[in-house]
Amino acid sequence: MSLLHATWLPAIRTPTSSGRPALLVWADTWRVAAPTGPGDTPAKHPFTLSTEELRTWLSDLGLLPEGIIDATACLTLPSRGIRSSNKTSTTNDLLEPTQKRQLDWTGLPLQAGEPVPQKTQWWPWQVQGLAIEPGYATIWLSKLPLSGDHPDLSDELRWWSHLQRWALSIIARGRWLPQVEFSRGEGYPHRARWVPLLNREDDRRRLEELAARLPLVATCALPWREPPGSRANRTTRLRPEAMRAANPVASCRPRSGRLRVANLLEELVDAQLRKGFQPDLTGLDPLLKEWQQALASDTGVISLEDEKVERLAIASNHWREGVAGRVTPARACLELLTPRQGDDFWDLHFLLQAEADPTLKVSASAAWASGSKTLQLGEIRVENPGEVLLEGLGRALTVFPPLERGLETAIPEAMQLTSTEAFVLVRTAANQLRDVGVGVELPNSLSGGLASRLGLAIKAELIESSRGFTLGESLDWSWELMIGGVSLSLRELEHLGQKRSPLVLHKDVWIELRPNDLKNAQRFCTSDPVLSLDDALRLTATEGDIFITLPVHSFEAGPRLQGVLEQYHQQKAPAPLSAPEGFTGQLRPYQERGLGWLAFLHRFDQGACLADDMGLGKTIQLLAFLQHLKCEKELKRPVLLIAPTSVLTNWKREAIAFTPELKVFEHYGPRRPDTIVSFEKALQDINIVLTSYGLMQRDSELLEIIDWQGVVIDEAQAIKNPSAKQSRAVRDISKSNKTSCFKIALTGTPVENRVSELWALMDFLNPNVLGEEDFFRQRYQLPIERYGDMSSLRDLKARVSPFILRRLKTDKAIISDLPEKVELCEWVGLGKEQIALYRKTVEDTLDIIARSPTGQRHGKVLGLLTRLKQICNHPALALKEKVIDEKFILRSQKLQRLEEILEEIIDTNDRAILFTQFAEWGYLLQAYLQCRWNSEVPFLCGSTSKNERQAMIDRFQEDPRGPQLFVLSLKAGGVGLNLTRASHVFHVDRWWNPAVENQATDRAYRIGQDKRVMVHKFITSGSVEEKIDQMIRDKSRLAEDIIGSGEDWLAGLGVDKLRDLVALEHE
Amino acid sequence: MNSSHNQNNAPINTALGEDGLSDQPWWVEQWMELINSYRFKKRLERAWTYAREGKVISIRFEGRRVHARVQGTDLDPYKVKLWLDVLNDEDWSYVLEALTQKARWSAQLLSGVMPSDIERAFAASGKRLFPFKLQEVRSECSCPDKANPCKHISAIYFLMGERFSEDPFVLFQLRGRSRAALLADLADQRLKALANFSNEKNSDKEYETNNQYLPDIPHPAVLEPGLWWSYSSSLSADLVVITPAMEGDTGLDVAGDLPFAQDPKFPEARNLFLSHLSSQGKVLAEQAMIQAMASGG
Repeated sequence: MSLLHATWLPAIRTPTSSGRPALLVWADTWRVAAPTGPGDTPAKHPFTLSTEELRTWLSDLGLLPEGIIDATACLTLPSRGIRSSNKTSTTNDLLEPTQKRQLDWTGLPLQAGEPVPQKTQWWPWQVQGLAIEPGYATIWLSKLPLSGDHPDLSDELRWWSHLQRWALSIIARGRWLPQVEFSRGEGYPHRARWVPLLNREDDRRRLEELAARLPLVATCALPWREPPGSRANRTTRLRPEAMRAANPVASCRPRSGRLRVANLLEELVDAQLRKGFQPDLTGLDPLLKEWQQALASDTGVISLEDEKVERLAIASNHWREGVAGRVTPARACLELLTPRQGDDFWDLHFLLQAEADPTLKVSASAAWASGSKTLQLGEIRVENPGEVLLEGLGRALTVFPPLERGLETAIPEAMQLTSTEAFVLVRTAANQLRDVGVGVELPNSLSGGLASRLGLAIKAELIESSRGFTLGESLDWSWELMIGGVSLSLRELEHLGQKRSPLVLHKDVWIELRPNDLKNAQRFCTSDPVLSLDDALRLTATEGDIFITLPVHSFEAGPRLQGVLEQYHQQKAPAPLSAPEGFTGQLRPYQERGLGWLAFLHRFDQGACLADDMGLGKTIQLLAFLQHLKCEKELKRPVLLIAPTSVLTNWKREAIAFTPELKVFEHYGPRRPDTIVSFEKALQDINIVLTSYGLMQRDSELLEIIDWQGVVIDEAQAIKNPSAKQSRAVRDISKSNKTSCFKIALTGTPVENRVSELWALMDFLNPNVLGEEDFFRQRYQLPIERYGDMSSLRDLKARVSPFILRRLKTDKAIISDLPEKVELCEWVGLGKEQIALYRKTVEDTLDIIARSPTGQRHGKVLGLLTRLKQICNHPALALKEKVIDEKFILRSQKLQRLEEILEEIIDTNDRAILFTQFAEWGYLLQAYLQCRWNSEVPFLCGSTSKNERQAMIDRFQEDPRGPQLFVLSLKAGGVGLNLTRASHVFHVDRWWNPAVENQATDRAYRIGQDKRVMVHKFITSGSVEEKIDQMIRDKSRLAEDIIGSGEDWLAGLGVDKLRDLVALEHE
Repeated sequence: MNSSHNQNNAPINTALGEDGLSDQPWWVEQWMELINSYRFKKRLERAWTYAREGKVISIRFEGRRVHARVQGTDLDPYKVKLWLDVLNDEDWSYVLEALTQKARWSAQLLSGVMPSDIERAFAASGKRLFPFKLQEVRSECSCPDKANPCKHISAIYFLMGERFSEDPFVLFQLRGRSRAALLADLADQRLKALANFSNEKNSDKEYETNNQYLPDIPHPAVLEPGLWWSYSSSLSADLVVITPAMEGDTGLDVAGDLPFAQDPKFPEARNLFLSHLSSQGKVLAEQAMIQAMASGG
């Protein structure tokens, strides 16, 4: 797969080119390439797409920009040095010996996501791409996603899209001024520019953020320059020395910085305003006319005499100075200190503060002492610190006149303010100062943050008799008013209010009283409020939540309440529960924790979503939970368990195996009860009712009548679309209940990251937690999905996280609990077509075998077994069909289940290898999977050439964006390969010899590896696959034979025994 | 007396727009006061008419002199030169020393403001920044008129005031110090002041602590080449919704009038220029918001 990149191509002016900058879009892809090195000019980047390929790909993605031309650039990229095997390169022979030695380096450029070698070098590479002119580039950047991982788009594209969004914000807020730029020297024209104003605090902070996180690949390009005259004689061979002179082997130094990012922002803002601006020249004098015209022209070139341009440049610069200064690494900062004891005056210190890190400050004296030299502020260098400080103070003076008094000496360091002046500074001037680019540091209790406002300090504890599990219950509690970190009584507040001074000293702390404070406090006191457990949960979930009229500054919970809160907020996990009596299996430690968690939320009457990674045993945890209820004598009514058809068999098997005491009723198949009477009768003494999503919907009327004790949905992503019939039916069933009904959802997908699916899930589990659907969409879904709004996402996660438990098999705590290989049996059933075909094949063939002479029997038996296994895979395989159509998936339950599991793997960005013993099935599977995920799935079989094999393996192992799925034939891929990138191994069909399977499994697994490998073995229940599996497990009689002789022993069985083995047992 | 322009003795208002001089910087006002102190009102009025008719073709500040060309009765424009007495180095050293006494002066000059009490710094040298009398403004005109100032020169006087507002440092330039030279001299003076100050306090070590150079710190991507490619931040919360400017809060609003002297022939040019920018700014802002709303999809 290819990855799209974008980098800025700065304008380099040459006699032949106007030198406009552009955004260069290019793409790299994974291929096998020989190491190469620079010759006369930088070497060609061996992994880039050609411009034709790039155009095609961009149109496929719907991202083909307008206003593009083919372009070449030299990109400086981290590279891996590799000795070239053929040393006799012809181009090198042309070089003189000194150059030859210099350019002896060979290697390959690194690609994003590739493991970084121990030693990295930076080399320039010649890259082909498409240059978008700035105006169109901004339109194109606006179309890019602002959040999320897009498999085709590189990280730096997101950086660009954020920069462009900032540019849009600057334009929307009108934070720009037109400027005239005097030529910087020969070859540079005079230009009219639209310049963003970066004086506001938030814009300055944003500049620092984007500069600190700039991915350097976004600014690592130098334009490729055609030497003069080369265009004309393209066919003749270019003179190497001319090319070398035009494009020396030179790298961009890795620099980042506010200035560079500020320039890029200016380019984007300028391009957009220039494009949209409609000049109106009526009534303008020639200078302003020319300026305005140039502001709308493509190049911005001003053609006036130098002195006129200079006049415009000075005037426009002076105009801008009044609003925003230059972009510098540091700024002036005013620090306000509270008066010393008994003093009425407030000290105001003058400091120099780093833009990138406001905690880095030095006193003004240090700035004066530096003179015109450089001042080191932490790691940041400040040129001319004295001037930076003075300029800032000059600007500060325009919004805070009292400062004038402090600047009457030559090298001032501080001044004193009256309390009135201090109040003006705290209340209004601080923000104005920040807006003109001056830092302001206020005492903590006055910093304007929430803590400096009047609020509450609460102490609360559960009522004596409470167990702490009912949300509505009220608490024992007390409260105090608090401001700036100190408490005060209502009377004190009234008293302080009478001082008529907005800044008052209370308990040695200076606090600011606001006009409404007293009124709010009085209203709160008279309302005589009750605090419920609900409130406590809410107030402790997020900081500074408002209770009635006041924000809550501190919440102190008594020991018992604290215990409940900690568990609820998952600061402390609920106590683990060991396997209940009657559970015939073992729980791993993390499963005991999961069980404890399910029981905990159940006591709270809250729905739970167990979202553990695949293979961690969600089924077992749920069964243990039901058994736990049974032991506690709480399981009084049946529990409805809804799952996809393909896993119902699995559920039944596991229930029988682990919780034999629980009575399971399968509500599916044609003979299921269809009247209330017969259904209720069937449910007598039943604990678990299994049904599929499809039937649940069809029989919803029947199911809604039953008073379920609980509803469990497996593969809960099935209800992700809230308006789908299926989702509504599930919610209806769980809501129709008369008595309370617990709700549990199981899923292996990272559900907390899927904002759009969360609402439906929570609406099933705990309605109202996320409000109405419309509210949810406006408040969370749009901001998060469209713009990647982190604060909304954090808030959303805080709201849902108490109800979702997700552990990953890569978690440290889990890994230690897991064996290195986790074997999972995937039990699947057969579809209608499969059953019919299976039966017919058995009947027809057994007769023939019975009548065959012994010599031919052997072959016939093996043929039968092969065909049956093929049917279990897919009827199409047995019928030798070659084409897949839309109904393909519907014909095999095994494929359906496989697809469900693979979906989770793809979602979580894992890689998997799939083994089959049938090459034909490999091809069909490959075709189906490629089409299903619209991405490449390699298939390695006996007929794959040696080179192809290596390329497939390399891509799977090395390419950071390589295929996630890899199909292999058991015979061709079972030995000798190293496929450790895979964390899942699938045995789609069974081989009789476990040693062969294990060998294949070991392709993905290496001893000492720090990850866990999940091994999925598919077994079609009731079929020959299950019997064989049983025999392999049941080593007693046949194991030796099986392992010793492959399938041969089967041929020796008598017809009756053979019939037992192959006959389909219907359940 | 011809009173078509003005009442007798009333100062001539050179405001070319409708708003008068009220929001002109103080030094422009001061310049106009200077002109209005001139005794020959009639000549002044003629010059004013001259200026308004656009007879002044160009005004250039070249080093310490002002060069101008004025279209008179002759076919070729007359050449006018204006200059002030330049302060010598000694005078400047007094001025600089005085300027250093108050950090505010440097602070204001650096942020583009001409301090209103700047003359106090010049008083130290016994000199002035602004000419006190019009006679101090030396001039030459290539016209045959013997009187100085002739109407061509007077016409330049009128237009000079506004030209000062384009760049307050022009006055310093006319007195012999360019902006760059002045700022560099001021920095030197501050160092001297600091040295004196530390000597007095006898505690020079305090200032030496923070000035050690660190070696060049390699860029983080050099140590971790993966950073060359990676950017993992999410969109900052306040860029999620793109909002318009608050009333009176655009760059144009805050920057105010463009400090650009108008060509008298186009009396509305500056206002038209600014109001067109401002109305286009609104249109462009709206487009940006529409684009922002549609993006990220």
